[in-house]
Amino acid sequence: MLNQERIKLMTRMAAYEEDQGRKNMSIGSYFRLDYIGMQIIGSIVYGTIAFALVFAMYMYYGMEQFMQDIYKMDLMKFIEGVIYKYLIFLACSVVITYIVYAYRYSKAKKSLKKYFYSLKQLSAMYDLESRQ
Amino acid sequence: MSTLLEIRENLRDFYTKFEIYLTPLFKFLLALLTFVLLNSSLGYMTRLNNIIIMLILALMCSFLPVNFILLIDALMAVLHFYAVSLETAIVGGAVFLLLFLLYFRFSPKEAIAVALLPVFFGLKIPYLIPLALGLVGSITSVVSAACGVVVYYLLIYVKENAAAISAMEGSENALARFRFLIDGMINNKTMYVLIMAFAATVVVVYLLRRLPVDYCWTIAIVIGSVVCIVAILMGDLSFETNISIMATVIGTLVSALLCKVLEFFVFNVDYSRTEYVQFEDDEYYYYVRAVPKNSVGKSKKTVKKITSVL
Repeated sequence: MLNQERIKLMTRMAAYEEDQGRKNMSIGSYFRLDYIGMQIIGSIVYGTIAFALVFAMYMYYGMEQFMQDIYKMDLMKFIEGVIYKYLIFLACSVVITYIVYAYRYSKAKKSLKKYFYSLKQLSAMYDLESRQ
Repeated sequence: MSTLLEIRENLRDFYTKFEIYLTPLFKFLLALLTFVLLNSSLGYMTRLNNIIIMLILALMCSFLPVNFILLIDALMAVLHFYAVSLETAIVGGAVFLLLFLLYFRFSPKEAIAVALLPVFFGLKIPYLIPLALGLVGSITSVVSAACGVVVYYLLIYVKENAAAISAMEGSENALARFRFLIDGMINNKTMYVLIMAFAATVVVVYLLRRLPVDYCWTIAIVIGSVVCIVAILMGDLSFETNISIMATVIGTLVSALLCKVLEFFVFNVDYSRTEYVQFEDDEYYYYVRAVPKNSVGKSKKTVKKITSVL
């Protein structure tokens, strides 16, 4: 005979697996620091590309002025300033990434905990049925 | 009210029953709508203004994740920009790339709001997006709304100035074209006013709809709409942006009404049956306020067989 409670639980679990479960399981397969570290590396790469893009546009925009001033200006100081801004930008990007992904990791872990509890319940239901 | 609730239940049942067909259909329609609007408002690359191409792309989008609509929209926009000038395509491409690199990596779920905002600008009800994002999104939705406004004003700026950009012919004017575009984008005060107004609206709506008070969604919609109008009015007065206040008020009112429809489908509860319960376990005391959802039982159809013996 069909066990309605078990079917309900299995349907809920299947829906979870289909929807958020897959993503959460991939997050849950990492250790916390590994997961956040990986995202931070990604953020550094994307941040560097974004900064390079903005810098290239900025340079092109002010090219005429830059070419006029190139012999008058302290080039080392200019490069130092650019690196300084790049590091500040990266630091902001890394901090935001850390906050966002630490939150997502803890959320995924909590959600997986509930899912594993449902698995245990399911296993208990099967045990009970086999004994009957 | 019960008739409306019954219609809602029927719609929900209908959607659940045919979800496998309806979801791709909605994606197809959304993609087609954005492509048609984009091509009709920009339309500089005539080869893209082909309904067959749009239908094929929309069909492709119907089977792909919803964010592909935004990707194809961005590629189409860059191609139209390229038809205006190479510099326009570079600036447009850079804006889209920056949005992807800095924001959509974090919040890909809300990327569709960016594609929808220019559509709602076209319908004169862009205020619906910040109100709806505040209701169903999170505090980070502020950035989605801001990105949508930037994309819209990029498209509008190119549309309004395409002739002027094309008039600056020759490679010697490449830098002038580039500077013209960047200056136009950076000095667009209307864009800043709307970004600030939309950000304030999203934050206010989000904070209010989470309050543990009765009718919090309605309060959030009403106060959010007022905040939106006041913020735009103040921005208009401060920066002299010439935003039509009458159109803003009417657009916000229509958006608020549409948000009430959204509330009916997403958050329909019966505050008159609210229950307050209190209990405890080993570690905590619980003070729970349970608000029941509005629902109706579906009317059952009975088929009566009438047989007659002749």
